[in-house]
Amino acid sequence: MTLQEQIRSNRFRSGIVVFGFALLLLVIAGLIGVVLDLSLGVFALAIALAYGIFALVRSRSMIAGMTRAQALGEKELEPLRRLVENVSIGAGLAVTPEIRLVDDAAPNAFAAGLRPEKSYVGVTTGLLRTMPKRELEAVIAHEISHIRNRDTYLMTMATVFAGVIALVADIGFRSIAYGGRSRKAGGIVVVLAVVGFILAPYAALLLRMSLSRRREYLADAGAAEILNDPEAMALALRRLELDTTSLRYADASTAHLWVESPTDRVDSERRGVLAMSGLFNTHPALPDRIEALEEVGGFRLPERLPDDEPFAAALGLT
Amino acid sequence: MLGLSIVIGVVVVLGVVVALGYNRLVRLRNEADTGWANIDVQLQRRADLIPNLVEAVRGYAAHERAVFDEVTRARTALQGATTPGSAANANEGLTAALGRLFAVAEAYPDLKASENFLRLQGDLTDTEDKISAARRYYNSTVMHFNTAIQSIPWVLVARPLGFRDKEFFSAEGDTAPPQVSFSQTT
Repeated sequence: MTLQEQIRSNRFRSGIVVFGFALLLLVIAGLIGVVLDLSLGVFALAIALAYGIFALVRSRSMIAGMTRAQALGEKELEPLRRLVENVSIGAGLAVTPEIRLVDDAAPNAFAAGLRPEKSYVGVTTGLLRTMPKRELEAVIAHEISHIRNRDTYLMTMATVFAGVIALVADIGFRSIAYGGRSRKAGGIVVVLAVVGFILAPYAALLLRMSLSRRREYLADAGAAEILNDPEAMALALRRLELDTTSLRYADASTAHLWVESPTDRVDSERRGVLAMSGLFNTHPALPDRIEALEEVGGFRLPERLPDDEPFAAALGLT
Repeated sequence: MLGLSIVIGVVVVLGVVVALGYNRLVRLRNEADTGWANIDVQLQRRADLIPNLVEAVRGYAAHERAVFDEVTRARTALQGATTPGSAANANEGLTAALGRLFAVAEAYPDLKASENFLRLQGDLTDTEDKISAARRYYNSTVMHFNTAIQSIPWVLVARPLGFRDKEFFSAEGDTAPPQVSFSQTT
Protein backbone atom coordinates (compact mmCIF):
# COMPACT_ATOMS: atom_id res chain seq x y z
CA MET A 1 0.00 0.00 0.00
CA THR A 2 1.47 3.35 -0.88
CA LEU A 3 1.20 6.27 1.43
CA GLN A 4 -1.63 7.99 -0.41
CA GLU A 5 -3.60 4.76 -0.51
CA GLN A 6 -3.09 4.33 3.22
CA ILE A 7 -4.24 7.89 3.82
CA ARG A 8 -7.32 7.31 1.69
CA SER A 9 -8.12 4.10 3.50
CA ASN A 10 -7.79 5.98 6.77
CA ARG A 11 -10.12 8.68 5.51
CA PHE A 12 -12.58 6.00 4.48
CA ARG A 13 -12.36 4.36 7.90
CA SER A 14 -12.82 7.74 9.52
CA GLY A 15 -16.03 8.03 7.56
CA ILE A 16 -17.16 4.62 8.79
CA VAL A 17 -16.27 5.53 12.36
CA VAL A 18 -18.20 8.78 12.13
CA PHE A 19 -21.16 6.93 10.63
CA GLY A 20 -20.98 4.14 13.22
CA PHE A 21 -20.82 6.57 16.09
CA ALA A 22 -23.65 8.64 14.66
CA LEU A 23 -25.74 5.48 14.38
CA LEU A 24 -24.91 4.39 17.91
CA LEU A 25 -25.78 7.86 19.13
CA LEU A 26 -29.10 7.84 17.32
CA VAL A 27 -29.96 4.42 18.73
CA ILE A 28 -29.24 5.55 22.28
CA ALA A 29 -31.08 8.81 21.85
CA GLY A 30 -33.93 6.84 20.28
CA LEU A 31 -33.97 4.46 23.24
CA ILE A 32 -34.15 7.39 25.61
CA GLY A 33 -36.92 8.89 23.53
CA VAL A 34 -38.99 5.70 23.40
CA VAL A 35 -38.44 4.34 26.88
CA LEU A 36 -38.41 7.56 28.83
CA ASP A 37 -39.49 10.69 27.14
CA LEU A 38 -39.30 11.99 23.61
CA SER A 39 -38.15 15.44 24.69
CA LEU A 40 -35.42 13.92 26.84
CA GLY A 41 -34.17 12.00 23.78
CA VAL A 42 -34.04 15.19 21.71
CA PHE A 43 -32.38 17.01 24.61
CA ALA A 44 -29.70 14.30 24.91
CA LEU A 45 -29.04 14.47 21.17
CA ALA A 46 -28.72 18.26 21.25
CA ILE A 47 -26.31 18.11 24.20
CA ALA A 48 -24.29 15.45 22.38
CA LEU A 49 -24.00 17.55 19.22
CA ALA A 50 -23.06 20.69 21.10
CA TYR A 51 -20.46 18.86 23.17
CA GLY A 52 -19.09 17.05 20.12
CA ILE A 53 -18.63 20.23 18.08
CA PHE A 54 -17.10 22.07 21.01
CA ALA A 55 -14.69 19.19 21.68
CA LEU A 56 -13.60 18.96 18.03
CA VAL A 57 -12.93 22.68 17.79
CA ARG A 58 -11.05 22.71 21.07
CA SER A 59 -9.37 19.29 20.66
CA ARG A 60 -5.90 20.69 20.07
CA SER A 61 -5.66 22.65 23.27
CA MET A 62 -7.78 20.16 25.18
CA ILE A 63 -5.31 17.37 24.46
CA ALA A 64 -2.39 19.63 25.30
CA GLY A 65 -4.08 20.41 28.60
CA MET A 66 -4.85 16.80 29.43
CA THR A 67 -1.28 15.71 28.71
CA ARG A 68 0.33 18.79 30.35
CA ALA A 69 2.24 19.51 27.12
CA GLN A 70 3.97 22.90 26.93
CA ALA A 71 4.87 24.74 23.73
CA LEU A 72 8.59 25.43 23.28
CA GLY A 73 10.04 28.93 23.35
CA GLU A 74 11.49 30.69 20.31
CA LYS A 75 15.06 29.34 20.34
CA GLU A 76 14.61 26.57 22.87
CA LEU A 77 15.98 23.07 22.25
CA GLU A 78 17.22 23.87 18.74
CA PRO A 79 18.79 20.40 18.17
CA LEU A 80 15.44 18.73 18.94
CA ARG A 81 13.69 21.05 16.53
CA ARG A 82 16.18 20.15 13.82
CA LEU A 83 15.76 16.47 14.50
CA VAL A 84 11.97 16.72 14.16
CA GLU A 85 12.37 18.81 11.01
CA ASN A 86 14.66 16.22 9.43
CA VAL A 87 12.34 13.36 10.25
CA SER A 88 9.36 15.19 8.80
CA ILE A 89 11.30 15.91 5.61
CA GLY A 90 12.04 12.19 5.40
CA ALA A 91 8.32 11.54 5.79
CA GLY A 92 7.50 14.00 3.01
CA LEU A 93 5.38 16.22 5.24
CA ALA A 94 4.84 19.70 3.86
CA VAL A 95 4.92 21.37 7.28
CA THR A 96 7.10 20.38 10.23
CA PRO A 97 4.89 19.73 13.26
CA GLU A 98 5.34 21.84 16.37
CA ILE A 99 7.01 20.28 19.38
CA ARG A 100 5.49 20.30 22.85
CA LEU A 101 7.33 19.22 25.94
CA VAL A 102 5.79 17.22 28.76
CA ASP A 103 7.74 17.50 31.97
CA ASP A 104 7.57 13.87 33.06
CA ALA A 105 10.20 11.28 33.92
CA ALA A 106 8.44 8.51 32.00
CA PRO A 107 9.75 8.16 28.44
CA ASN A 108 6.82 8.58 26.07
CA ALA A 109 5.60 10.64 23.11
CA PHE A 110 2.35 11.40 21.35
CA ALA A 111 0.95 13.22 18.35
CA ALA A 112 -2.23 15.28 18.13
CA GLY A 113 -4.07 17.56 15.75
CA LEU A 114 -6.91 17.26 13.27
CA ARG A 115 -4.87 18.29 10.22
CA PRO A 116 -1.21 17.56 9.43
CA GLU A 117 -0.41 21.28 9.09
CA LYS A 118 -1.88 21.95 12.51
CA SER A 119 -0.40 18.98 14.33
CA TYR A 120 2.13 18.75 17.07
CA VAL A 121 4.36 16.11 18.57
CA GLY A 122 4.55 15.87 22.34
CA VAL A 123 7.63 14.36 23.96
CA THR A 124 8.36 13.86 27.63
CA THR A 125 11.60 15.07 29.15
CA GLY A 126 12.02 11.46 30.27
CA LEU A 127 12.13 10.38 26.63
CA LEU A 128 14.93 12.85 25.87
CA ARG A 129 16.85 11.63 28.92
CA THR A 130 16.42 7.97 28.00
CA MET A 131 16.80 7.71 24.23
CA PRO A 132 19.97 8.13 22.21
CA LYS A 133 19.59 10.11 18.99
CA ARG A 134 18.95 7.17 16.69
CA GLU A 135 16.13 5.79 18.82
CA LEU A 136 14.65 9.22 19.54
CA GLU A 137 14.46 9.73 15.78
CA ALA A 138 12.55 6.45 15.52
CA VAL A 139 10.04 7.51 18.17
CA ILE A 140 9.55 10.88 16.47
CA ALA A 141 9.17 9.10 13.13
CA HIS A 142 6.49 6.90 14.71
CA GLU A 143 4.55 9.97 15.81
CA ILE A 144 5.07 11.68 12.48
CA SER A 145 3.70 8.67 10.68
CA HIS A 146 0.59 8.91 12.86
CA ILE A 147 0.24 12.48 11.63
CA ARG A 148 1.00 11.59 8.01
CA ASN A 149 -1.41 8.64 7.96
CA ARG A 150 -4.13 10.90 9.41
CA ASP A 151 -4.30 8.63 12.45
CA THR A 152 -4.32 11.67 14.70
CA TYR A 153 -7.37 12.93 12.84
CA LEU A 154 -9.21 9.65 13.16
CA MET A 155 -8.21 9.15 16.79
CA THR A 156 -9.22 12.66 17.77
CA MET A 157 -12.62 12.12 16.18
CA ALA A 158 -12.97 8.75 17.88
CA THR A 159 -11.96 10.24 21.24
CA VAL A 160 -14.56 12.96 20.96
CA PHE A 161 -17.31 10.58 19.82
CA ALA A 162 -16.57 8.06 22.54
CA GLY A 163 -16.88 10.89 25.04
CA VAL A 164 -20.18 11.98 23.53
CA ILE A 165 -21.64 8.46 23.61
CA ALA A 166 -20.63 8.03 27.22
CA LEU A 167 -22.26 11.34 28.06
CA VAL A 168 -25.55 10.52 26.35
CA ALA A 169 -25.69 6.99 27.75
CA ASP A 170 -25.09 8.51 31.15
CA ILE A 171 -28.04 10.86 30.75
CA GLY A 172 -30.23 7.90 29.83
CA PHE A 173 -28.97 5.69 32.62
CA ARG A 174 -29.37 8.33 35.30
CA SER A 175 -32.86 9.18 34.16
CA ILE A 176 -33.89 5.55 34.60
CA ALA A 177 -32.00 5.05 37.82
CA TYR A 178 -33.23 8.19 39.54
CA GLY A 179 -36.97 8.13 39.18
CA GLY A 180 -37.48 8.53 35.46
CA ARG A 181 -40.92 7.17 34.64
CA SER A 182 -41.32 4.93 31.63
CA ARG A 183 -44.37 6.14 29.84
CA LYS A 184 -45.01 3.69 27.09
CA ALA A 185 -42.86 0.65 27.59
CA GLY A 186 -43.08 -2.37 29.80
CA GLY A 187 -40.52 -3.96 32.12
CA ILE A 188 -38.57 -5.95 29.51
CA VAL A 189 -37.89 -2.89 27.36
CA VAL A 190 -36.69 -0.96 30.38
CA VAL A 191 -34.30 -3.76 31.31
CA LEU A 192 -33.00 -3.89 27.74
CA ALA A 193 -32.57 -0.15 27.72
CA VAL A 194 -30.65 -0.20 30.98
CA VAL A 195 -28.35 -2.88 29.60
CA GLY A 196 -27.99 -0.85 26.40
CA PHE A 197 -27.11 2.33 28.28
CA ILE A 198 -24.51 0.49 30.35
CA LEU A 199 -22.91 -1.25 27.41
CA ALA A 200 -22.95 1.60 24.90
CA PRO A 201 -19.90 3.48 26.23
CA TYR A 202 -17.97 0.23 26.27
CA ALA A 203 -18.88 -0.48 22.67
CA ALA A 204 -17.57 2.95 21.75
CA LEU A 205 -14.42 2.43 23.79
CA LEU A 206 -13.79 -0.96 22.26
CA LEU A 207 -14.11 0.40 18.74
CA ARG A 208 -11.77 3.26 19.52
CA MET A 209 -9.15 0.97 20.97
CA SER A 210 -9.21 -1.64 18.25
CA LEU A 211 -8.66 1.19 15.80
CA SER A 212 -5.75 2.41 17.86
CA ARG A 213 -4.02 -0.95 18.13
CA ARG A 214 -3.85 -1.69 14.42
CA ARG A 215 -2.56 1.81 13.86
CA GLU A 216 0.39 1.24 16.18
CA TYR A 217 1.74 -1.52 13.95
CA LEU A 218 1.26 0.70 10.91
CA ALA A 219 3.03 3.61 12.55
CA ASP A 220 5.95 1.36 13.59
CA ALA A 221 6.28 0.18 10.01
CA GLY A 222 5.98 3.77 8.79
CA ALA A 223 8.76 4.90 11.12
CA ALA A 224 10.99 2.08 9.89
CA GLU A 225 10.36 3.20 6.32
CA ILE A 226 10.86 6.92 6.96
CA LEU A 227 14.28 6.32 8.50
CA ASN A 228 15.05 3.21 6.46
CA ASP A 229 16.04 1.70 9.80
CA PRO A 230 13.61 -0.82 11.34
CA GLU A 231 16.14 -1.74 14.00
CA ALA A 232 16.10 1.77 15.47
CA MET A 233 12.35 1.53 16.07
CA ALA A 234 12.69 -1.93 17.63
CA LEU A 235 15.52 -0.74 19.88
CA ALA A 236 13.44 2.21 21.01
CA LEU A 237 10.50 -0.06 21.82
CA ARG A 238 12.76 -2.42 23.77
CA ARG A 239 14.08 0.54 25.73
CA LEU A 240 10.51 1.61 26.50
CA GLU A 241 9.74 -1.95 27.58
CA LEU A 242 12.66 -2.00 30.03
CA ASP A 243 11.61 1.30 31.53
CA THR A 244 9.04 1.03 34.30
CA THR A 245 8.31 4.68 35.03
CA SER A 246 4.64 5.60 34.65
CA LEU A 247 3.34 8.91 33.41
CA ARG A 248 2.09 11.08 36.23
CA TYR A 249 -0.85 12.48 34.33
CA ALA A 250 -1.79 9.36 32.44
CA ASP A 251 -5.46 9.40 31.73
CA ALA A 252 -7.69 6.86 30.02
CA SER A 253 -9.06 9.43 27.61
CA THR A 254 -5.64 10.18 26.10
CA ALA A 255 -4.03 6.75 26.53
CA HIS A 256 -4.35 5.80 22.86
CA LEU A 257 -2.35 8.84 21.74
CA TRP A 258 0.99 7.81 23.25
CA VAL A 259 3.69 5.70 21.64
CA GLU A 260 3.58 3.27 24.56
CA SER A 261 0.46 2.77 26.64
CA PRO A 262 0.93 5.03 29.68
CA THR A 263 -1.70 3.37 31.85
CA ASP A 264 -1.02 -0.36 31.60
CA ARG A 265 -0.32 -0.98 35.24
CA VAL A 266 -3.19 1.08 36.57
CA ASP A 267 -5.61 -0.36 34.06
CA SER A 268 -4.89 -4.00 34.55
CA GLU A 269 -5.52 -3.68 38.28
CA ARG A 270 -8.73 -1.80 37.75
CA ARG A 271 -10.20 -3.99 35.08
CA GLY A 272 -9.21 -7.38 36.41
CA VAL A 273 -10.49 -10.15 34.15
CA LEU A 274 -11.20 -7.95 31.16
CA ALA A 275 -7.58 -6.88 30.96
CA MET A 276 -6.58 -10.50 30.49
CA SER A 277 -8.29 -10.73 27.14
CA GLY A 278 -6.38 -7.72 25.88
CA LEU A 279 -9.61 -6.35 24.43
CA PHE A 280 -9.38 -3.13 26.36
CA ASN A 281 -5.74 -2.39 25.74
CA THR A 282 -5.02 0.68 23.67
CA HIS A 283 -1.70 -0.69 22.44
CA PRO A 284 -0.45 -4.09 21.33
CA ALA A 285 2.15 -5.54 23.69
CA LEU A 286 5.64 -4.14 23.06
CA PRO A 287 7.20 -7.59 22.44
CA ASP A 288 4.63 -8.18 19.68
CA ARG A 289 5.47 -4.86 18.08
CA ILE A 290 9.20 -5.60 18.29
CA GLU A 291 8.63 -9.01 16.74
CA ALA A 292 6.67 -7.49 13.85
CA LEU A 293 9.58 -5.13 13.15
CA GLU A 294 12.11 -7.95 13.34
CA GLU A 295 10.08 -9.83 10.77
CA VAL A 296 9.92 -6.91 8.36
CA GLY A 297 13.54 -5.92 8.80
CA GLY A 298 14.97 -9.43 8.92
CA PHE A 299 17.08 -8.88 12.04
CA ARG A 300 17.19 -9.93 15.70
CA LEU A 301 17.60 -7.40 18.47
CA PRO A 302 20.81 -7.80 20.44
CA GLU A 303 20.53 -8.90 24.08
CA ARG A 304 22.07 -5.67 25.28
CA LEU A 305 20.89 -2.26 24.16
CA PRO A 306 23.58 0.10 22.87
CA ASP A 307 24.58 2.43 25.70
CA ASP A 308 24.91 5.56 23.59
CA GLU A 309 24.56 8.92 25.21
CA PRO A 310 20.92 10.06 25.59
CA PHE A 311 19.89 12.94 23.33
CA ALA A 312 19.28 15.17 26.37
CA ALA A 313 23.07 15.66 26.55
CA ALA A 314 23.07 17.33 23.12
CA LEU A 315 20.26 19.58 24.33
CA GLY A 316 22.06 20.59 27.49
CA LEU A 317 19.33 19.07 29.67
CA THR A 318 20.45 17.47 32.88
CA MET B 1 -30.50 -7.70 -26.10
CA LEU B 2 -28.81 -9.65 -23.34
CA GLY B 3 -25.59 -9.73 -25.35
CA LEU B 4 -25.70 -5.96 -25.81
CA SER B 5 -26.16 -5.25 -22.12
CA ILE B 6 -23.27 -7.57 -21.27
CA VAL B 7 -21.05 -5.70 -23.72
CA ILE B 8 -22.12 -2.35 -22.30
CA GLY B 9 -21.53 -3.64 -18.77
CA VAL B 10 -18.03 -4.84 -19.61
CA VAL B 11 -17.17 -1.55 -21.31
CA VAL B 12 -18.39 0.47 -18.31
CA VAL B 13 -16.44 -1.69 -15.83
CA LEU B 14 -13.30 -1.45 -17.99
CA GLY B 15 -13.71 2.31 -18.23
CA VAL B 16 -13.93 2.65 -14.45
CA VAL B 17 -10.88 0.42 -13.93
CA VAL B 18 -8.85 2.41 -16.45
CA ALA B 19 -9.88 5.74 -14.94
CA LEU B 20 -8.98 4.64 -11.40
CA GLY B 21 -5.66 3.20 -12.51
CA TYR B 22 -4.79 6.30 -14.50
CA ASN B 23 -5.58 8.53 -11.53
CA ARG B 24 -3.35 6.38 -9.36
CA LEU B 25 -0.43 6.82 -11.77
CA VAL B 26 -0.97 10.57 -11.81
CA ARG B 27 -1.00 10.62 -8.03
CA LEU B 28 2.19 8.59 -7.79
CA ARG B 29 3.88 10.87 -10.30
CA ASN B 30 2.85 13.94 -8.33
CA GLU B 31 4.20 12.40 -5.14
CA ALA B 32 7.56 11.81 -6.82
CA ASP B 33 7.57 15.37 -8.18
CA THR B 34 6.92 16.74 -4.70
CA GLY B 35 9.71 14.54 -3.39
CA TRP B 36 12.06 15.99 -5.97
CA ALA B 37 11.03 19.54 -5.10
CA ASN B 38 11.89 18.77 -1.45
CA ILE B 39 15.41 17.71 -2.43
CA ASP B 40 15.80 20.71 -4.69
CA VAL B 41 14.99 23.10 -1.84
CA GLN B 42 17.67 21.55 0.36
CA LEU B 43 20.27 21.45 -2.43
CA GLN B 44 19.64 25.14 -3.05
CA ARG B 45 19.99 25.79 0.67
CA ARG B 46 23.30 23.98 0.68
CA ALA B 47 24.54 25.94 -2.33
CA ASP B 48 23.50 29.20 -0.63
CA LEU B 49 25.69 28.44 2.37
CA ILE B 50 28.83 28.00 0.28
CA PRO B 51 29.77 31.65 -0.52
CA ASN B 52 29.69 32.62 3.16
CA LEU B 53 31.73 29.59 4.07
CA VAL B 54 34.33 30.34 1.41
CA GLU B 55 34.50 33.98 2.58
CA ALA B 56 34.96 32.85 6.19
CA VAL B 57 37.90 30.61 5.26
CA ARG B 58 39.36 33.20 2.85
CA GLY B 59 39.60 35.62 5.75
CA TYR B 60 42.22 33.34 7.34
CA ALA B 61 43.77 31.56 4.37
CA ALA B 62 43.59 33.91 1.39
CA HIS B 63 46.31 32.08 -0.55
CA GLU B 64 44.43 28.78 -0.81
CA ARG B 65 42.89 29.97 -4.06
CA ALA B 66 42.82 26.57 -5.76
CA VAL B 67 40.55 25.11 -3.12
CA PHE B 68 38.18 28.11 -3.24
CA ASP B 69 37.95 27.83 -7.03
CA GLU B 70 37.21 24.14 -6.78
CA VAL B 71 34.42 24.68 -4.24
CA THR B 72 32.94 27.49 -6.31
CA ARG B 73 33.04 25.36 -9.46
CA ALA B 74 31.37 22.47 -7.65
CA ARG B 75 28.69 24.84 -6.41
CA THR B 76 28.02 26.15 -9.91
CA ALA B 77 27.81 22.59 -11.20
CA LEU B 78 25.26 21.74 -8.52
CA GLN B 79 23.13 24.76 -9.38
CA GLY B 80 23.28 23.89 -13.06
CA ALA B 81 22.28 20.25 -12.61
CA THR B 82 18.78 19.53 -13.86
CA THR B 83 18.19 15.80 -13.56
CA PRO B 84 18.17 13.88 -10.27
CA GLY B 85 21.14 11.76 -11.34
CA SER B 86 23.32 14.70 -12.37
CA ALA B 87 22.30 16.65 -9.26
CA ALA B 88 23.33 13.70 -7.10
CA ASN B 89 26.71 13.57 -8.85
CA ALA B 90 27.20 17.32 -8.52
CA ASN B 91 26.22 17.09 -4.86
CA GLU B 92 28.85 14.39 -4.32
CA GLY B 93 31.36 16.64 -6.12
CA LEU B 94 30.53 19.48 -3.75
CA THR B 95 30.96 17.16 -0.77
CA ALA B 96 34.43 16.19 -2.00
CA ALA B 97 35.43 19.83 -2.58
CA LEU B 98 34.10 20.85 0.84
CA GLY B 99 36.14 18.03 2.35
CA ARG B 100 39.27 19.72 1.01
CA LEU B 101 38.09 23.11 2.22
CA PHE B 102 37.62 21.77 5.74
CA ALA B 103 41.02 20.09 5.54
CA VAL B 104 42.51 23.52 4.83
CA ALA B 105 40.54 25.00 7.74
CA GLU B 106 42.10 22.40 10.05
CA ALA B 107 45.40 24.27 9.81
CA TYR B 108 43.92 27.49 11.24
CA PRO B 109 42.89 27.15 14.90
CA ASP B 110 41.56 30.74 15.02
CA LEU B 111 39.26 30.01 12.10
CA LYS B 112 38.09 26.74 13.59
CA ALA B 113 37.24 28.50 16.83
CA SER B 114 35.44 31.43 15.19
CA GLU B 115 31.74 31.54 15.91
CA ASN B 116 30.81 32.38 12.34
CA PHE B 117 32.68 29.37 10.98
CA LEU B 118 31.19 27.01 13.57
CA ARG B 119 27.70 28.21 12.81
CA LEU B 120 28.20 27.75 9.07
CA GLN B 121 29.61 24.31 9.65
CA GLY B 122 26.61 23.40 11.81
CA ASP B 123 24.16 24.70 9.20
CA LEU B 124 25.95 22.73 6.52
CA THR B 125 25.80 19.49 8.50
CA ASP B 126 22.13 20.11 9.16
CA THR B 127 21.46 20.71 5.46
CA GLU B 128 23.28 17.51 4.58
CA ASP B 129 21.08 15.60 7.04
CA LYS B 130 18.04 17.17 5.44
CA ILE B 131 19.23 16.25 1.95
CA SER B 132 19.60 12.64 2.98
CA ALA B 133 16.14 12.66 4.60
CA ALA B 134 14.59 14.21 1.48
CA ARG B 135 16.47 11.71 -0.64
CA ARG B 136 15.02 8.75 1.29
CA TYR B 137 11.52 10.08 0.71
CA TYR B 138 12.08 10.91 -2.96
CA ASN B 139 13.67 7.56 -3.76
CA SER B 140 10.81 5.67 -2.15
CA THR B 141 8.23 7.65 -4.14
CA VAL B 142 10.22 6.98 -7.34
CA MET B 143 10.30 3.29 -6.53
CA HIS B 144 6.51 3.20 -6.09
CA PHE B 145 5.96 5.13 -9.32
CA ASN B 146 8.39 3.09 -11.41
CA THR B 147 7.02 -0.18 -10.08
CA ALA B 148 3.51 0.95 -10.98
CA ILE B 149 4.30 1.86 -14.59
CA GLN B 150 6.48 -1.20 -15.13
CA SER B 151 3.76 -3.60 -14.00
CA ILE B 152 1.16 -5.24 -16.20
CA PRO B 153 -1.09 -3.81 -17.58
CA TRP B 154 0.35 -0.31 -17.30
CA VAL B 155 3.65 -1.24 -18.88
CA LEU B 156 1.73 -1.49 -22.18
CA VAL B 157 0.17 1.96 -22.08
CA ALA B 158 2.28 4.04 -19.68
CA ARG B 159 4.58 5.38 -22.41
CA PRO B 160 1.85 6.43 -24.85
CA LEU B 161 0.09 8.14 -21.93
CA GLY B 162 3.23 10.12 -21.18
CA PHE B 163 4.52 8.30 -18.08
CA ARG B 164 8.29 7.84 -18.11
CA ASP B 165 10.47 6.09 -15.54
CA LYS B 166 11.81 8.53 -12.98
CA GLU B 167 15.45 8.73 -12.08
CA PHE B 168 16.59 7.97 -8.53
CA PHE B 169 18.57 10.58 -6.65
CA SER B 170 21.78 8.62 -6.44
CA ALA B 171 25.30 9.42 -7.56
CA GLU B 172 27.31 7.09 -9.78
CA GLY B 173 28.75 4.35 -7.65
CA ASP B 174 26.05 4.67 -5.00
CA THR B 175 24.60 1.35 -6.07
CA ALA B 176 27.95 -0.42 -5.89
CA PRO B 177 27.99 -3.52 -3.71
CA PRO B 178 28.83 -2.80 -0.07
CA GLN B 179 32.19 -4.61 -0.06
CA VAL B 180 33.64 -1.83 -2.24
CA SER B 181 33.12 0.73 0.49
CA PHE B 182 34.49 -1.69 3.06
CA SER B 183 37.70 -2.15 1.06
CA GLN B 184 38.07 1.63 0.94
CA THR B 185 38.00 1.99 4.69
CA THR B 186 40.58 -0.72 5.38
